[in-house]
Amino acid sequence: MNPQVLIFTMVFAAIAGLLLKRWHAAARAVAVGTSGFTAIAAADAMARATDQQTLGWLVPGLDLGPVSLPLDLGTSRATAAVAFAVALVAAAVQVYSTWYLRDDDRYPTFAATVSLFTAAMLLLVHSHDLVLTLIGWEVMGWCSYLLIGHWSRKPSARRAAYKAFLVTRVADIGFVLGTVGLIAGAGTSSLEGVIAAWGGAPTCDPLGQCTGPDSVLRAILLTLLVVGVLGKSAQVPFQDWLPDAMEGPTPASALIHAATMVAAGTVVLAALFPVFAQAESARWVLGVSTAITMLLAALLALGQSDLKRLLAWSTVSQVAIMLSALASAPAADGPDAGLFHLWSHALFKSLLFLSLGLLGVVAGGTAASLLRGVGTRSRLGRWTFLIGLLSLAGVPFLVGGLSKEHVLAEVYAGAMNRGPGLFVLCSLLATVVVTAAYSTRAFLVIAQTANDEEPAADAASTDAQPNRTDAVRRQGRGPASAVLVTLALLTLIGGLVLVLDLFTLHEASWIWLAVTVVLISVGCGLAFALGRSGDPGVRCAGRHGHRFDTGFGADTAYRALARAVVALARGVAFLDTEVIDGFVRGSAVAARVSGGRLDRAHRAERPRNGAWLVVAGLLALLALGVFAWR
Amino acid sequence: MLLLAVPLLTGTGLIVVGRRFSRYAAAWVALTAAALTAGAAGVVAWQRPTVDAAWLPEVGVRLRLGVDGISIPLVLLTAVIGVLVTALATGYVPGGGSPGTYAGCLLLVEGGALATFVAGDALLFFVAFELVLVPMWVLITRFGDPHDARARADAGQRFVLYTGAGSTLMLAGILLLVTWAGTSDLSALVAAGAGLPVGRQLTVALLLTVGLAVKVPVWPLHTWLPSAHTAAPTGGSVLLAAILLKMGTYGLIRLPFSVVPEGFVRISPWLAIAGGLGILWGSLVCLVERDLKRLIAYSSVAHMGFVIIAMASNTEAGLQAALIGNLAHGVISALLFVVVGGLKERWGSVDLDRSWPALREVAPHRGFALILGLAAALGLPGLAGFWGEFLAVLAAWHPADPMRIVVFRTVAVLAAVGGVLAAGYCLRVARLLWAGDAPTETSAAADAKGGARLDAAAGAGLDSETAAPLDSEAGEGLDSETVAPLDVETRGAERFVAGVLALLIITLGVAPWLVLDITHPAVLALLGGLP
Repeated sequence: MNPQVLIFTMVFAAIAGLLLKRWHAAARAVAVGTSGFTAIAAADAMARATDQQTLGWLVPGLDLGPVSLPLDLGTSRATAAVAFAVALVAAAVQVYSTWYLRDDDRYPTFAATVSLFTAAMLLLVHSHDLVLTLIGWEVMGWCSYLLIGHWSRKPSARRAAYKAFLVTRVADIGFVLGTVGLIAGAGTSSLEGVIAAWGGAPTCDPLGQCTGPDSVLRAILLTLLVVGVLGKSAQVPFQDWLPDAMEGPTPASALIHAATMVAAGTVVLAALFPVFAQAESARWVLGVSTAITMLLAALLALGQSDLKRLLAWSTVSQVAIMLSALASAPAADGPDAGLFHLWSHALFKSLLFLSLGLLGVVAGGTAASLLRGVGTRSRLGRWTFLIGLLSLAGVPFLVGGLSKEHVLAEVYAGAMNRGPGLFVLCSLLATVVVTAAYSTRAFLVIAQTANDEEPAADAASTDAQPNRTDAVRRQGRGPASAVLVTLALLTLIGGLVLVLDLFTLHEASWIWLAVTVVLISVGCGLAFALGRSGDPGVRCAGRHGHRFDTGFGADTAYRALARAVVALARGVAFLDTEVIDGFVRGSAVAARVSGGRLDRAHRAERPRNGAWLVVAGLLALLALGVFAWR
Repeated sequence: MLLLAVPLLTGTGLIVVGRRFSRYAAAWVALTAAALTAGAAGVVAWQRPTVDAAWLPEVGVRLRLGVDGISIPLVLLTAVIGVLVTALATGYVPGGGSPGTYAGCLLLVEGGALATFVAGDALLFFVAFELVLVPMWVLITRFGDPHDARARADAGQRFVLYTGAGSTLMLAGILLLVTWAGTSDLSALVAAGAGLPVGRQLTVALLLTVGLAVKVPVWPLHTWLPSAHTAAPTGGSVLLAAILLKMGTYGLIRLPFSVVPEGFVRISPWLAIAGGLGILWGSLVCLVERDLKRLIAYSSVAHMGFVIIAMASNTEAGLQAALIGNLAHGVISALLFVVVGGLKERWGSVDLDRSWPALREVAPHRGFALILGLAAALGLPGLAGFWGEFLAVLAAWHPADPMRIVVFRTVAVLAAVGGVLAAGYCLRVARLLWAGDAPTETSAAADAKGGARLDAAAGAGLDSETAAPLDSEAGEGLDSETVAPLDVETRGAERFVAGVLALLIITLGVAPWLVLDITHPAVLALLGGLP
């Protein structure tokens, strides 16, 4: 199936959804039908994926003289797999939302936005042109703004949406400039052209005349690009927008986290890998940032008082793992370990979010204190959540475990070379322990029955689903349950995708497998030991719980920056009205004053003025005569 | 010829005899005239006729009219906007004078702008350029904001005097050019102007550029724009943003850029710097500006900065970016002014420090138009604004003159930063006006804390909703003064106008080649004239 079909189906779904705003049932049918069709088509495309090929696009390219923008699409085995994950998660989210947002008055808009979001991600995945990549990238940012702010009657949702868009947009300065520089240097925006122009090392003849790409400029441009990726993927120092984005409805979070926006950076860097692998400094930037992020986010996840925010931080940590594979993989190996982790993360993270949505509805919120023991009330939620957590922790042979093994092998291979590999490896091993610990904690929270020693104080739940009666809750839950079961099954057996040979991967080694098993056991054991009496997260965070919830004060730093910009803006506004416009007003005043003076000078009743005018006239004549005579 | 005759004659006629016309009669006559003009514009764009007649034979000035790839999109834009503003007048005519005068002034501005875009002679261009001043002044001072007569008079005077001063410089430039080159025919001037010595080219280019820069407006010559926009009636604001500013950029391309290329290349780095500063300056002011109409005016300064940068890069990509950016800004700002102007007519003011009912809740159609306009203004791909801005940055990264590459790349970085600021102020407006609580009877009681309830969510909770982005400074200006009317939905003509503009924005964004293909041959021809 052509990628055009996938993309246009979703764009059509978005438009139709907006037009059908008044008719919820019709909008529901369109959303589910189109996304289901796309998922099946993408599965078909994945089963029949071939090697890399470039396809024309339905629209003509643009020719701008020295720069041409062909606007082509393309496919390869890995993109087919990623596209399937995207389409699958989108379909799951659409089906699930029909239940979750059943009584939301703006459901059609939500479904349309999800469709547009999916279209943008599919465009980005299939793009063989940097301009198309940029288009998909920015459209996703906008859709995330709309989805996070879906419940725009809540001030916190409005703020979260605003923050998410601004933070990612600030990082996009780098993305835009990097893209522009690469396109301008290559003279074309097609991926092949850019790789041909910027890949490879410069060759110098003995006289010092070098041909080939300018490696300094390349390093700068790719670093800029990496900055953009860090922003969208919520890596340090842009990490703080993602947990706040939990203000959006849970299906939207599943979509944003599992397969689209946050993971988009991995797709972009994977497409540009031949160039990226050459730019050592850009790899260092990415490697250092992801190494810090994965551990920091995992630690923050451990101490969150809200399980939805725990999942958010776990996304940050897992995306860091994907990106770290790209940062440290040897140039010859290619980016596919990262892409495989993206694929498996899409499955288990969507499963986790959607299960948590179910549990949250049952419990009336997603705060840990509310969710305590909810697993006993919803068996389905308990089991699907557990499967997701096992996969998240990286238990061997579940899909998450398999992909984590491959990332580990790749990072190890990179650590043997130059580059940031060793640094990343250390952080990755520590992260495995902490990940296992917070996964165990999340399970303990929902599995243990409440004991009264903990005050279930006013829990600031981020999920604002209105409390519904049980009858409403159960109404139409069938499809949602089916989605959970499907995703859980795929999480269990998804590793079989390797049989299709879509990703080019290293052999994973048994030694690393043994090491991870040990590390995971350590993590689980720690969590159990702490959690014998109550929530291990609370025990661990202790008095500093609120620090974990505020992400160690990153938000305060963002605020300070924003305040500085606003202060600058006030200064500029002052300059504008008082200085620049002052000249304008000044000229008016000057004209009036001099007019008044001249008027006075011409008044007949003051003979002295007349005398002066005569003298001035004579002088002028004299001067004229002198100059003319010469 | 019909293209010009219809709006100009009808406009004059309406002003002279239209005093006794009722609102409907005047508006419908104007709408018919504008529709006829639009038809004529379509024919002109298709067949590209030329007119060449003696006008002032004593000084060798002829009445030459014609269109090419550069002017066709602008002629079409002007014709469409003409229809839209007169259509708006069928729904609402501001007080202050007879409806006939109002409609007539709209048509005169449209006719003058069309004449500017089809003029094939430098002096004719100047005459047409000046033609729009007086009707625009009437629109601002007579029909403008009814709340503040002094501000209206000030804005009108400032507009006429400031742009008049710019025009004087331009006239000096044109006269010098015509004297030195010996012809005033624009197509002959391209060859004659390029043959002038560099010093003379520089003088002419400087005079013309500064003169036209007032109209664009280029930072720091922009301070007439915000007051004019604030005071003007909706129709006037739309004309001002969508057409009058375009006359400035069109003039820059038509006169200094193509006629005295060597002189223009010398000053283009300065122009680019002014453009880059304009982007930052305008966007920063937008972050703290209280009056929404002024805010949009400042965002116009920023957007025209992109156009100026693109043009100053002297490349094919740059010129294309300038042309499409010009057009995109025309439709985007027109849409925003329609939406906001309508709000101001109903609410009396659009002060962002007060709390207003959220448009998303009380007026979904107007809200959608607003959010679409804002998204386009922040350069979202798939909408009109993206191509002009992206291509402008691309062009600035790779300017024609490799000696100035550092300057231009710095400017490209400034422009990219400006893109973020644009996101900041657009979403600030969205947060204050578009998103928010659904107002209910008990709006005084509830507050933000109870946000967990969807249905009961209500109130004037200002906590995190005041001016500063990401900040939660407490706002003092609660809505105690007056209760803003909730019924602000677009109706009839207004909805039609907003719909057409929204459709144009999406079309331009999805299919930029519709414009770029028309302009491409003309751009190539222009750049072929460069050394």
